[in-house]
Amino acid sequence: MPTMKICSRPISTASSRREFLYGLGASLGSIAMSSAFAKDINQPLANPLAAKKPMHAAKAKNVILLFMEGGPGHMDTFDPKPKLNELHKTESKNDRGLAAGQYQFYVGSPFKFRKVGKSGIEMCDQWQYMADPEIADELCNYRGCQAESLNHPEALFHMNTGSRLGADPSLGAWATYGLGSLNDNLPGYVVMTELALPQGGSKNWSNGFLPAFHQGTRLRSVGSPILDLKSQPNKSREHQRMALDTIGFLNDQHAARHPKHAELAARMESYELAYRMQMEVPGVVDLQGEPEYIREMYGMNQKETRDFGTQCLMARRLVEKGVRFVQIFSGGWDSHDYLERGHASRIKSVDQPMAALIRDLKQRGMLDDTLVIWTGEFGRTPDNNKRGGVYSIGRGHNIDAMTMVMAGGGVKKGAVVGATDELGAKAVDCVHPIRDFHVTLLHLLGLDDNKLTYFHAGRYKQLSQFGGEVISELIG
Amino acid sequence: MNLSHKIFAWLFICLFLGSNGSADETTLTNNEKGEQIFSLHVGQIFSDKCNACHGADQDEIQGELNLTSLAGLMAGGATRDDLLLPGNPEKSFLLDVVSWKDPDYEMPPKANDRLTESQIQKIREWIEYGAPWPDAATRQKYVEAERQKVRTEAGVLVATSGGLSDDWTYRRYKDEDIWAFQPLATPTVPSGPEGQGKPKNANPIDAFIAAKLAGAGFDPAPRADPNVLIRRASYDLVGLPPTHREVNEFLLAWKKSPSGAWTDLIDRLLESRQYGERWAQHWLDVARYADTAGLSNDYERSNAWRYRDYVIRAFNDDKPYDEFIIEQIAGDELADEQMRERCTDEKAFADSRRSGDYTEAEVELLVASGFLRMGPWDPAMVKTPEARQLYVDDVVNAVGQTFLSTTMRCFKCHDHKFDPLPTRDYYRMYAAFAGTQMAERSAPFMSSESTDRFEDGEELVQRLKSFADEKVEWLENKTSEAADQWLAERGIPKPAGTKAELADIPDDQKPPRHIGLSEEEKGRLKVRQQDQWIWERRLERYRPMVQSVYNGPTPKKLNGRKLRIPEHVDADWNPECHILSGGSLEAPGQAVTPGVLSATRVAIKEAPADDPYGIGDDLHGRRLALAEWIADDRNPLTARSIVNRVWQYHFGKPLAGNPNNFGGSGKKPTHPELLDWLAGNFVENGWKLKRLHRLIMSSATYQQSGKHSDIDRIERVDADNDLLAMFPNRRLTAEEIRDSMLQITGELNLTAGGVPVMPEMNMEVALQPRMIQFSLSPAYQPSRTPEERNRRSIYSYRVRGLADPFLETFNQPNANDSCEERDVASVSPQAFTLLNSDVVTDRSIALALRVENEADAVVARIRRAVELVFARTPTDAEEKKLLKYVQDMEDYHAKTPVKKKDYPTSISRSVVEEFSGQPFSYEEILPVYENYVPDKKSADVSAETRALADLCLALFNSNEFIYVY
Repeated sequence: MPTMKICSRPISTASSRREFLYGLGASLGSIAMSSAFAKDINQPLANPLAAKKPMHAAKAKNVILLFMEGGPGHMDTFDPKPKLNELHKTESKNDRGLAAGQYQFYVGSPFKFRKVGKSGIEMCDQWQYMADPEIADELCNYRGCQAESLNHPEALFHMNTGSRLGADPSLGAWATYGLGSLNDNLPGYVVMTELALPQGGSKNWSNGFLPAFHQGTRLRSVGSPILDLKSQPNKSREHQRMALDTIGFLNDQHAARHPKHAELAARMESYELAYRMQMEVPGVVDLQGEPEYIREMYGMNQKETRDFGTQCLMARRLVEKGVRFVQIFSGGWDSHDYLERGHASRIKSVDQPMAALIRDLKQRGMLDDTLVIWTGEFGRTPDNNKRGGVYSIGRGHNIDAMTMVMAGGGVKKGAVVGATDELGAKAVDCVHPIRDFHVTLLHLLGLDDNKLTYFHAGRYKQLSQFGGEVISELIG
Repeated sequence: MNLSHKIFAWLFICLFLGSNGSADETTLTNNEKGEQIFSLHVGQIFSDKCNACHGADQDEIQGELNLTSLAGLMAGGATRDDLLLPGNPEKSFLLDVVSWKDPDYEMPPKANDRLTESQIQKIREWIEYGAPWPDAATRQKYVEAERQKVRTEAGVLVATSGGLSDDWTYRRYKDEDIWAFQPLATPTVPSGPEGQGKPKNANPIDAFIAAKLAGAGFDPAPRADPNVLIRRASYDLVGLPPTHREVNEFLLAWKKSPSGAWTDLIDRLLESRQYGERWAQHWLDVARYADTAGLSNDYERSNAWRYRDYVIRAFNDDKPYDEFIIEQIAGDELADEQMRERCTDEKAFADSRRSGDYTEAEVELLVASGFLRMGPWDPAMVKTPEARQLYVDDVVNAVGQTFLSTTMRCFKCHDHKFDPLPTRDYYRMYAAFAGTQMAERSAPFMSSESTDRFEDGEELVQRLKSFADEKVEWLENKTSEAADQWLAERGIPKPAGTKAELADIPDDQKPPRHIGLSEEEKGRLKVRQQDQWIWERRLERYRPMVQSVYNGPTPKKLNGRKLRIPEHVDADWNPECHILSGGSLEAPGQAVTPGVLSATRVAIKEAPADDPYGIGDDLHGRRLALAEWIADDRNPLTARSIVNRVWQYHFGKPLAGNPNNFGGSGKKPTHPELLDWLAGNFVENGWKLKRLHRLIMSSATYQQSGKHSDIDRIERVDADNDLLAMFPNRRLTAEEIRDSMLQITGELNLTAGGVPVMPEMNMEVALQPRMIQFSLSPAYQPSRTPEERNRRSIYSYRVRGLADPFLETFNQPNANDSCEERDVASVSPQAFTLLNSDVVTDRSIALALRVENEADAVVARIRRAVELVFARTPTDAEEKKLLKYVQDMEDYHAKTPVKKKDYPTSISRSVVEEFSGQPFSYEEILPVYENYVPDKKSADVSAETRALADLCLALFNSNEFIYVY
């Protein structure tokens, strides 16, 4: 949709517009902190989300993060452990350390595994669409990542913000802080959840200490796509324009009495952006224009895949429109029990939509610079406890091993990187903490974690907290 | 006291001796000078910057150059042998290499590893003196001699309890980086610009500010207009705008006597109860107030509201800040000490404590200790030792940031990277809290507390709980019947016995778990059981309980949903504390005893000479000793910390830029002398905040205009307005915006205190399902009547996992982290909220109705609306334009129908079961909406009123309403 400017009056009589809230990197961080006064009042007001050049040649321009809340079992999805099946229901010797305690017996995976595609990448038989060679050979399966928190919210915070405390900026916030957005009429960072928010809620897509422009905007699946995006039901778009003009009139009168006050102009500008978003957002979220075969491909015509499929298609449309970072949360992976049923239904719900997303991006030539990531907040244990004396066929939370699947955006194709031990208890090859995964993600976007800093509470802060390393094995 | 724990390497550095080197330094020979430079500098540079590639690994030496010996350096590398010509720096190629003079030889190769100018100079001098390479013993001799000097060109030593290495312990600091740890200076108040007919500054604040301004060649801005001043003062002190009438009265008084009017205004505002409500909010931002515990379960902290009201009372009563500190850190210890004096023996004490037999003064102390319960915490899925560590780490950091402006987290895993804070001191403070256990304790309500609305509130919660109880009972009966049948079919008698005995029965001899329940019902059972707990906790809101702590051993199991003082508390228990290297419980290092931050050089009163910063290791009284040390008149961090915060909340910017971190990496104070003078003056005069407000607000600096004739030059020279040549304007905070709208519409209910109220929030968010462990958290239901809903925002229910979207959009801080300064960015979601939301639309209708009630003609109504929102009369141009707008809107609304709004009394929830991945649904009741009293909505009023409401909405959206000058 072309971005028409339906602006019946000049934006502001206060012509002193400038950037005063935004600064990239350490040198400008302190400017960003001091919002009251800027270095040069006569500079034009830069859009704080204007697209910026990456720090080095970027492999990826956009990210679509498919977040499997609850923690998928790596040994039940992409990391086969035949040894576990031999040991099924035998006593567990797996020591999980002081903090976690002991589990009683081993649990074999209920699923069979097979090699797929030319690359022979392994996945369990529940993956049918992802197993298509055209898709499978695009994938990079990473088995070396380790988390730190056994609890869902802290682990979610850690994976999403680099800190377990739930108060730091999220991945998408850092990405838009570093790169800006490619569309002036849409937020740079969009989040979609199931009807229920994931544990920890909006702190998983928070701007943290970065300016509020970098907050993830939640596109709601039910009701208003953005909270209060729509006018009250009895107020039309013309009504809204007249209201804005009246506010503009009051603000102009006010600005005349308070010249040289840049926030006034910036605030009025935020209203005009809101007005443009009101136009743009409904168009993006309206999938009626998508052809039937596309809707079919994403699984929108079946109950099990409709929700996630809709969100995946939305993600493609958003990235097409220039949204930098899209994140979709899909829950229900926390299979402490009823593993077979639980994981089978979860895999079914994402298999077709995710495969469709990768295929669709590929056929539009967008996969090369769009990084798709499928991950949970941690992996699962090879063993479990009895509950009420009965074997619970499920798995606990495992911070020592997990699995991630990536595609596009400069990662290796048809590759398996890293490994877990023969039971899947611990990562043993190409082992990296979450922060290294974060540094790698920024690196692919052309950003250097050590340079992408923001001065807050007395020090220059970065996504990785204290620095990390690029996992070069992942990069194609 | 166990002396064997005292294994500190105390530094006794004589701080009076020698400043810039001792006398014999001048008598060193050139060779000795060279040796000294090598020992202190050059050797270190080689090992830090070069040896990784040139010698550390003898098998992999790059370029055949070995820099670990003089011989290696003299021999040179693969291509050059003229690296070092002793005595001849100009010909020594080494200097070219490290100065990056030759593009083919740039070392170290990474730009951010490059040597500094002064490092290169050291190498140059070393070569000049003949490049001697002393042996290790000689080097050590020079190093130790150097450590005798308190001050060298490299900086000053700071005596601390000692780091993990001597290198850290003898690290040198720049004076400007350790300003916060220095004792408060007693600066002379500058005499001010005399002559040129200008009077000497009466208020010392102005003298300090003027001195710096004069240095930059600026005059201060003139005094602001009185109508600007009353708005500024009102928002600053009470967080509400002045009414039009108050403005007019003030203007009249101002005409008679500006200074009299101003003093009276400040007195009136400081005496108003709304003062405490406004300033408590600042404190709660820092303390991280919330009514829930956050994380997995987001459990209710049912009595947290009592702490909130304590803080409000403390501000209103002008409680001296030192007492405020002690009560929050050690209130329970003080209360128990007093109770113990009344009790004949330990048994009687334990009984009275459990039954909450406290006096009102003691209850106040217990409530104050709620500060130690403010952080997010939930031990779900975490073993006890780690859950414990999470709590203590959080409390230690909270105490450090809040009272000492010191981010303690920074030296939990290692000695502080920048500040003189050894990790030992972190664990000494940790030890002060090692016996601090969380508990909901019995404490009767005080006469100063409000128990209003208990009956209605309890009835509602009881109703919700009964609903869950009934559902659980039904499901449990169903499964128990099925189990009986299963047993009967197999001829197995119904088993009886203890839980452990039952668990021992072989699997094939007992019925499967949840037999007889469908998947749907299994899911529901879990949800209902979780609901039972949620409502159970919420009922405790109405019980005489308090979120507090006690001293004792760590319970075997910790569960966030119920924390109580156990029946038997081992009073002689003594926690063992260690330095945890890397912060890991699995790597305990040296043992430590409780203590405080040694870098302040403020000793504990009556501490033994060999451990001046030690607290003593009795289980009881550790926190009291720590609190008294924090509140000690001599503690330089404490007074600076609070004075800096108060300044920040008046001027919108602090004197020292990071109110939660005074360390070397934080922003330096813009006016260090003023900060010290204010801090000293504050302490001398009894730590009284209201006096500090008066002092600040009576200054010309506070009263100056936000406009300046020399604005362009100020923007160039002092873009951040650090010099305060004019008053910085600010946007209203989230709570100020909401409270102001309610005051202006006449809806604001100024009732004080009591259990949290539930304002209306965006309905989509209120009913939004929200994951907690094993379940969904129940929907947010607003309070039933407008009077209850329309209280000041500080009384609103604050849920960590569910922010009020209105307040969150306007940057209400995340309660998981201490907020030292609020974000004020203008973002589009704010526009959506103010233009389109139900809550603001309702306010616009309320204002329209009020205006219609108070004036008859349309023009008079418009005038009245402007008066109410802007506290001034509209200009002719405004009146004309706004009249036209209202008329246009009347036409619009006359043609546009409105639908009535319905409220649901129950909702159906659909969830994917966490364990099994199966979806299930259940019904949740919303009894509040059964006899709900809604605000007046668009459909309830005429087209005329709706048109007027459009005008009111525009006023609420305008910059004039949102900014304070």
